[in-house]
Formats: sequence, structure tokens, C-alpha cells
Amino acid sequence: MLVSDVLRQKRAGLFIFIFILKKNAQKQKPTFAPLRLCGKFASESFALLCVLSLVFLLSSCKSEPIQESANVQTREITDDLGRGVKIPETVERAVSLAPNLTEIAFAVGAGDKLAGVTTYCDYPIEAQKIQKVGDTVNPNVESIIALKPQVVLVSTASQIESFTKQLEAQNIAVFVTNPNSLDDIYNSINKIGEIFGRNEKAREVVGNLQKRVAFIESKTGAAEKTKVFVQISKEPLFTIGRESFLTDLIERAGGVSLTKNVAAAYPKLSKETALASNPDSIILSDSEDNREPNELFKDSPAVRNGRIFRVNADIISRPGPRLVDALEQIARALHPESFK
Amino acid sequence: MRIPKAKSENQKSKIGSSVRVAGLLIFLLGLALLVAALLGSEKLSFFELDERHAAILFDIRLPRIFLGATVGASLALAGASLQSLLRNPLAEPYLLGVSNGAALGTMLAFVFFSQAEWARPVMAFAGASLATFVVYQMAKSRAGMNVERLVLAGVIVTTFLSSIIVLMTSLIDATKLRSFTFWLLGDLSQSTKNGFYLSFCAVLIGGFILTRQARALNLMMIGERDAFDFGVEVDKTRLAVFAASSLLVGTAVAASGSVGYVGLIVPHLVRLVIGSDNRLVIPFSALAGAIFVVLADTIARVAIAPRELPVGAITALIGAPLFIYLLRKD
Repeated sequence: MLVSDVLRQKRAGLFIFIFILKKNAQKQKPTFAPLRLCGKFASESFALLCVLSLVFLLSSCKSEPIQESANVQTREITDDLGRGVKIPETVERAVSLAPNLTEIAFAVGAGDKLAGVTTYCDYPIEAQKIQKVGDTVNPNVESIIALKPQVVLVSTASQIESFTKQLEAQNIAVFVTNPNSLDDIYNSINKIGEIFGRNEKAREVVGNLQKRVAFIESKTGAAEKTKVFVQISKEPLFTIGRESFLTDLIERAGGVSLTKNVAAAYPKLSKETALASNPDSIILSDSEDNREPNELFKDSPAVRNGRIFRVNADIISRPGPRLVDALEQIARALHPESFK
Repeated sequence: MRIPKAKSENQKSKIGSSVRVAGLLIFLLGLALLVAALLGSEKLSFFELDERHAAILFDIRLPRIFLGATVGASLALAGASLQSLLRNPLAEPYLLGVSNGAALGTMLAFVFFSQAEWARPVMAFAGASLATFVVYQMAKSRAGMNVERLVLAGVIVTTFLSSIIVLMTSLIDATKLRSFTFWLLGDLSQSTKNGFYLSFCAVLIGGFILTRQARALNLMMIGERDAFDFGVEVDKTRLAVFAASSLLVGTAVAASGSVGYVGLIVPHLVRLVIGSDNRLVIPFSALAGAIFVVLADTIARVAIAPRELPVGAITALIGAPLFIYLLRKD
């Protein structure tokens, strides 16, 4: 659209706005004291001022990023939301807003490029020394901007829309990941490697993970699939659903998630359905309030046969390289006979 | 001669109609309980219950339905009596901050005495009482109770307590208070048999106290001074109603979180049907409140099964528009 067109539209809108104000002013006496004193003139010029400043603000917002981004060499990498994100040719400063992304950055050998991470980012130990910029759900946009990163890595656990625009206006690229399976995690690792110019190292990491996964699958492939219930929270009862990467993980570990057809990633499940599912094994995401299976499972084969397995909540909940550790633990727990 | 006769006939028909309404409400409650027992995320074959289906029905579905009934009765009883006592149609445990007081009490009990199951209802009762007292003191003026002041005081206490609750959920380790984010919206899924027994006892005790105060409340609706002239012990009545409603709201919130709007719309609907005599409004509100929450929770359980919605979202979804309608009708 031509600039003059926009301006003409804005001016037209402005005149309509003033016209409406005028009509209203004629209809009823303004009750606000200063307005009553100054009369119609004041209200009109005040409205004019408001509209003008609004127009100014809007136009200034839009023009900024276009001017700056022109002089930096970028390449386009597609993120998990399907957006082509313009990433600078060399990335020296980045911020990670999720613990799994921090772990991936360290795994591809780019941990030293992280200028900021979240309070959840506690692995590897080096990550604990990096400056914190809030947590995944409530990152502090001001601290992020203050660190002057070129790229911010986020997961869909963050409320992306609210700050993506703010960061992009500051010429900071926002790269979103949303892995739903192990293959998606490999993809995340490769792409984050690409962002930091560590393609080789990323491929090596993925290759090693794939080897470990293939070994597990060779052991569990022939075994009978056992019925697994994954308990994320005991009370209220939360489990994993169709969109969780853990559904894929359980499958590869030689089990079948009883809630694999439930919509959403981590649904709050009806206790009736949980009781009816009658699991052979229960996997607990091990945290303070989730150390035991819910009471409703007391007569299930899992509890009667003592097949309750706890996996460290950090390992099982972060779609990063350590998820393969979780896979190994779960596979060995479900099928000890296959690993003799 | 004619006038007293007409009066007695009028009274007779009034008694007749209230008996009819009571019968209808009891029938509807039975029907609601039956419908709720038949529906659920799992289809049960009621004629040949195997062991697991029996467990679903008796350990999970029925305790939850019965708890829903007592929670609904509690909140409606508290709402009906507070509205008469404070001469304010907007008085409602949720809007006055009483529910939030109870919620904060429950959360504090969870943080400081996480092992003791009894601590939650006790602390909820304490929180509800304290919130009631503060709102009452804020709303009271020399000229007596004023409708706007009460609502404002309620809004202030509610938002103040909400902000403390939000602060607590932000400051305390996320996994520890995770269960509360759902519970705060009203959630009956965490029902236990003990929770139901406690709530049932509270309904019996609270309902007994409040129905005994019904006549005094009728007189207090005219005005506290007039009630005093008629021989009502105003202070005693006020204390009894505050204590009973705090008990009811405290146990209800400790069991199921903040289920909103029940105490508001249920007594209003009851008054639309049978008038404003508290001797009828109070017990009938208990029955109607039970019906309302049982049905709302059935929707919460079935709508997106096998996932669940918080029941408070359903009661607010039905309650808020209904309330706007009632407001405009007046």
C-alpha cells in the first residue's frame, strides 16, 4: 500500500473522529470540569492531540525494524511454527527460554553463546552460572532485551505471542520449537546446531542418540507391549495425551500409553477413565507431589505387582538429549528380561 | 368475619403451594442425582456391574456427586442467609471474598501443615470467618449497613485475597502448588469420602442453625432497629449467621475450591418462585443449590470426556448471564 494512501485514510479517520466528538459535544454538556471551562475548543484540540500522537506512535513502531535489519547478513531457518526466521550469519549471543533448549545448546557445543537462560535451566552445571531472565512461562522481556541477544530460543510453553512482537521490533530473532516426538527432538537439535553454526556437532549428537535409541528398539521390538499409564500429577490427576512426546517414547520403550488417544498434550483425566484403563505399569514423573500413584490405582495390576517406576521429572519432561536417558530407564523397567 | 377466614384460606393455600414446591425440589434433586450417576466418562452396565465398574461407581462417581450436592447446598444456604442478614441481594460468598478467605486458608494449611488432612477445612473456616468479619467491619458505618459499601468492601477484600493467592502460587515452588491452579476455579475431582462426610455434617449443622434463625432474618430484612423492636437479638442472630455461613463456605471450599455464583443465583431463583419468607427460602435454597451443582458438575465431567473441566467455570458460565437477566428484570 502506498504511504500517501495510508496517510489519507488516517486523516479521513481523524476527521470522522473529530466530527463525532463535535456532534456529541453539541448534544450533551461535558461534565468533566476542565472541559466545561475551556469549552468545545479544548475538547477538539485534545482529541486532535490524542489522535495525532496515536498516529505518530503507530507509524514509528512500524518503521524501526525495516531500517535496521537491512545491514545484517541473514539466512532463513524454518521453526516449528512454520515461520521462516531470519537468523544472523553468525550468532554470538543467544537467550534460551526453556531448559531443554539450554541442554540442546550445550550438547551442540554452543553453551558459551548463551547470554541468558531461565531459572529452570539447571543442566549442565555451567548453565546455572548464566544470567537468569525469568522462567519459561513468565520471561522478563526487559532483561532479555538488555542482554542484546541476536536470537531467542523459545518453546511453546512460553506465551510466545505476547513478547515475540516486542523482541522482533528490537531486531531480535525468535525461534520457536515444539517437539512432539523423538524425531522432532532430533530436528530441534539439528536446527539449533545450524543456528550456532555447529551443524557437524549437531549431526554427531543426533547420530549418537539414534544409535542408542536403535539399540533400545532392537531389544524391545519383539517384546509384548505392556499397558502403561504415565502419571504427571497425582492430584488432580494429569497424564500424557496424544500430543506429548512421551506417548512416542513409551511406544519405543515397548509399551503402549493407555491415554494415547486423549486430545491435548497433558490432559486432566477423568478418574473413572483412569480406573477403567487398568494399567500393567505406572510411570511417575518423579516430583515431590507425585511420588506415589493415585489411590484409584490400588487394585490395578501395576500396583498389585509392584510395577511402579519413577523417572526424574527433569529428564522425563524436557524434550532434549537427556530424554533418551529416560527412554533407556523406562525400557529397562518395562522389559528387564530383554536386557539380561 | 370474612377477613380472618380469607386469611386462613390464603395461608392454607400458601402451605399447600410450599409443600408442592418442596416435593418438586426433592423430586428434581433425586432426578439430578440419578442422571449424574448414569452419566460419566465411562459407560457402566448397571445391571451386571463387574468389580471394576463397581469401583468406578462407588469409589469415584457417587462420592463426587454427593460432594457436589453438599457443596451446592452449603453455598446456596450461605448465600440465602447472608442476603437476608445484610439486606443485600448481591451478598454471595464468592463476591464478598468469603470464598477467597477460605481458599487462602486452605492453601496456607497445605503449605504449613501439608500432612494433616484436618488442617485444610479448619484453616478454610478460619479464613472464611476472618474475611466475613473484615468485610462486615468495612461495610458498617454509623448510618448502618449500606448496599454499595458492602459490595465495594467485598470487591476490595476479594481482589486483595486473590492477589495474595497469586503471589503465593508465583513464589512457592511450581510443582508444590500445581494442584491449586485447577482447584481455585472450583474442582470436584479431588473429592474423598471423608471430604463428603465433613461437608454433609456442615450442611446439617449450618442448615439447622440457619433455619432456626429464619424468622429473625425475616424481621431483620425490614431493618435491624425494627427487628430489635420486635424482640430479635440482633447481635446474636448476626453472629449465628456469620458463623454458620463461614462453616458452610469453609468446608465447601476446602473440598472443592471456589465454585462461584451458586450462592447468588440459587436463592434468587427460589425467591422468584416462593417469595421472600426465609423459613422457606433457606431450606429450599439448599435443595436447589444441590441440584444446580450436581448438574453443572455432570456437564464438567461429560462435556470433553475423558478430559475434565473445572465445575466453577460451568457455574459461572450459567450463573453470570442468568444473574444479568435477573438484574435487568428487576
